[in-house]
Amino acid sequence: MMKFCLRLFISIFILLPLLYGRNFDERDFPIQDEGRVKPLDTFSRNQLLALYGKRSVKHEKLSAIDWLFELILNPEKGGREKVFNIRNPEVTSSLRLEWTNDHKYSFIEVFPGLMEQVELISVIHKKSDESRTIFEQQLLEIYFNATRFKEIAYSLSCLVPIIEINDSLLADKLNTSPGKAVSYAHLTKQFQTLSEMFHNNMNKPKDKWSEPDKELNRILLTLQHISSEDFAKALKLIPPSPLDETGTWLSPWELMDGRSRVPYQDKILNALEKYLTGRALGDENKMMSSLMDYEAGIASITTGKTDINLLKKETWMNKANLFYISVAFYLLAFIFLGLSWMFHQPKYFQRISSGLLCTGLLYHIYGIYLRMVIMGRPPVSTLYESVIFVGFVTVICSVILEYFRRDGLGLFTGAVSGAVFHYIGFGYASDGDTLGMLVAVLNSNFWLATHVTTITLGYGVTVVAGFIGHLYLIQMIRSPENKTLLKSINKNMFGITLIALFFTLFGTILGGIWADQSWGRFWGWDPKENGALLIVMWHVMMIHLRLTAKVKPEGFALGLIINNIVVMMAWFGVNLLNVGLHSYGFTSGIAWNLALFTAFEFATGFGTYYWAKLRKKSLAQPVIIN
Amino acid sequence: MKQIIKIVSNPKIFIYTIIWLMVLVVLGTLSQGDIGLYASQQKYFSANITWLGDIIPVPGGRITMVIMLVNLTFMVLFKHNLWKIKKFGVLIVHIGALLLLIGGGLTAIFSSEGNMVIEEGAQSNHVDDYHDMELTIINTSNESLDEYTVFDQPILEKGNVLSHENLNFNIEIINYFRNCEPLKRNEPAGIQYKGMLKNFILSELKNEKENNQNRPGITYRITNSRSSNDGIYGIFLGQSVTQTANINNQKYEFIFRRKRTYLPFAIELLDFKKVVHAGTGIAKSYSSEVNLIENGIPRRVLIEMNEPLRHKGYTFFQASFIEGIEGDTTVLAAVKNYGRLFPYISSIIMSIGMLLHLFSSMPKLLRKNTRDSS
Repeated sequence: MMKFCLRLFISIFILLPLLYGRNFDERDFPIQDEGRVKPLDTFSRNQLLALYGKRSVKHEKLSAIDWLFELILNPEKGGREKVFNIRNPEVTSSLRLEWTNDHKYSFIEVFPGLMEQVELISVIHKKSDESRTIFEQQLLEIYFNATRFKEIAYSLSCLVPIIEINDSLLADKLNTSPGKAVSYAHLTKQFQTLSEMFHNNMNKPKDKWSEPDKELNRILLTLQHISSEDFAKALKLIPPSPLDETGTWLSPWELMDGRSRVPYQDKILNALEKYLTGRALGDENKMMSSLMDYEAGIASITTGKTDINLLKKETWMNKANLFYISVAFYLLAFIFLGLSWMFHQPKYFQRISSGLLCTGLLYHIYGIYLRMVIMGRPPVSTLYESVIFVGFVTVICSVILEYFRRDGLGLFTGAVSGAVFHYIGFGYASDGDTLGMLVAVLNSNFWLATHVTTITLGYGVTVVAGFIGHLYLIQMIRSPENKTLLKSINKNMFGITLIALFFTLFGTILGGIWADQSWGRFWGWDPKENGALLIVMWHVMMIHLRLTAKVKPEGFALGLIINNIVVMMAWFGVNLLNVGLHSYGFTSGIAWNLALFTAFEFATGFGTYYWAKLRKKSLAQPVIIN
Repeated sequence: MKQIIKIVSNPKIFIYTIIWLMVLVVLGTLSQGDIGLYASQQKYFSANITWLGDIIPVPGGRITMVIMLVNLTFMVLFKHNLWKIKKFGVLIVHIGALLLLIGGGLTAIFSSEGNMVIEEGAQSNHVDDYHDMELTIINTSNESLDEYTVFDQPILEKGNVLSHENLNFNIEIINYFRNCEPLKRNEPAGIQYKGMLKNFILSELKNEKENNQNRPGITYRITNSRSSNDGIYGIFLGQSVTQTANINNQKYEFIFRRKRTYLPFAIELLDFKKVVHAGTGIAKSYSSEVNLIENGIPRRVLIEMNEPLRHKGYTFFQASFIEGIEGDTTVLAAVKNYGRLFPYISSIIMSIGMLLHLFSSMPKLLRKNTRDSS
């Protein structure tokens, strides 16, 4: 079995790089957004998520990147696309929109209503976050989304070929062929010629203008019209010149103002224009060659180099959805474990199940690893990452447990907890970008990295202990007469609790050291610190109760189950406390889920505890009578 | 004697104290939502007695931890079954925990923390306490030297009468407000009101959750000055017009400010820098370039997030900043803590102990079937 797993492991890790060892394409265009350079694919997915609520346009079957390019190539058509997700009836009515069942509206529907209320929106904007009502919050969000939408739609309009030149003489002078459309950027390069011709025109009376003259006038008017779109600076696709110290990337429009460009900026700009032209005409060859130009352009960046392989990796990761694959394997592992209980050949199915669990785990690990590589930071620095990491810890623990026991207990724990944590993670992922930058205090600090990783490990192990607590009580109800099995689970429970204590205690102390290093105090009774302390104290209490024989194994199991609640409170609950006024949207969802979880754990914990005691008694009785 | 040791080292005491501490932690954490971090820390964790709902007295965090410390000490010293080679890891863990508690005690008693606020180009040689206030009275009659008389926090309490040989009058504290605001009087004040109180009253406000957002103030009565200066005065933190009084030919200035601790050195801010993630407003790092001036000799130091300056028992951290048009102002947190090494040492000791114990017992605990029957 182990050999098989090892082979699988190696082959997956050899094969995976082949999958993203493909050619550079438009999804990999680097763009600076929210503090980091990311592939355009990630950018478009996040934008679509913010507007539409999903990472691809479902009713059109359009991927995020295609949606972005279609919008850029034809902003008018894109404005009629129903991609604004508005679910609040108060908001729709204030925007004079009709309340529909799919809650989707287009930009041209939303925009006039927003313009009417600019004054209200500016008042809302000035308010502090906490004092806004749900309606105000959402209206503001839609306003920001709409402005951003408009900025994205026109951000490349200087590169899109939309100006048609039919006159052959004019076309020749302007360095193009008749009947072909050219872009604003192309024409600004011929600025000298254009202004000469313009002066010629001005010297002639209007009624004596020839056809080319008239066409020139039309072209100039169009140019002027397009130049009014230079507010659109949302797509920071062009790297800064080496002289720029801030490292802020530029949008194509920012380069149109006549500033001097460095060669690689020109290369990228030209490649982008070529790509857009090719895409507008449906010319595959042109697109192919433009992509090669683009890649060469990026490779020639001199300062603050962008790693093309990293971009490709991220694009691949966006598409691969490693955690979805991982959860599928966990569920399969669970199904095969279930089959092993039903049939007479349990060993056979159990082996398949453990193979599946390990495969799922590999995908899980690979996903975490890729995120670490892309962001260049430790595995856990946001709440979302902590969920994914705890899931990983629970599965690892379960695999180790299974290695020692080989009776399916570890498989059951791993498959269930792994899948559950993935689902919680999906909930977070649908809330926004999961690869965001961190604020100053969380940035690159050794103690923080070790502290968060350790404490999250502790959470994971504690959850496994709680899970086994459940299994112990269930086992007591199922067959209280099987003493050896119960005894072995009991020992496991204690062992895992010790490990959990080690990680939570060590993690908490590391947190204190970090706090001492950056704020000058080891301990400040802050909610997050108290939460961690509570878990540690609970572990310490349970261990001492057990060692002084104050609790029986079933009581210990119940204690571990309740510790699950303590973990969830420390993990998610403290966030609620800090933002007491923010009880809307996402956080109210957390509060509800926490309450549900607490109720569930209490009910099942105490329910099985008393039932188990009852069973024990009824078992004990006949012995006394005989 | 043996009897006493047996009672004091009873592990039951530990279990009860840890349960009680958990209750306190839960209450203290939940109350932070209402009364803020500092107040709940004072009420639940630093207090010997905690008043539940202001009526029922229960043991506070400090006394609970002292009981735990005593119990643990006796357990480590006198429990014979802990001093066995098999339990060596467990013993080490307990000694580490003991050190952690002792360190916590030292910190609670001896540490002090405050702010040092410096503008670009300026220097400072004192630390302002976060929480404690002081009433400073400066005698400015002598042109060549100012005479300072300072009364600080514990004695600035309602009803106390302050006097000092430097002063030819007494001060009686009428009221101490944790948070207040000056309000303009609608009607003319009585003749007993002097200074700012002629035109304003100090009205008490609800405490803010963040203690540093409170504006404390006092009202006090000057007595025994044998002059027309006897009367009621008021003063608050950050008052822009200095309160002065001319009593028996001595000129006095009254200042109410955060308690100051003067340092044997000064810090000059050369430059404050804030770096953001490119293309966003999210801060990536803050740093203050300073000169540490001691005996007139400057030394250049860069204080960054997570990179404090340590000097003569004090540690200076980049805590906050104020952006200005003419120049930025940096806010450094200054901490003096004698117990700061304890957590480091005890965490190492505890980790070693736990690892020893885990490695010796874990294989036995994880296996399904064991042959030894212990």
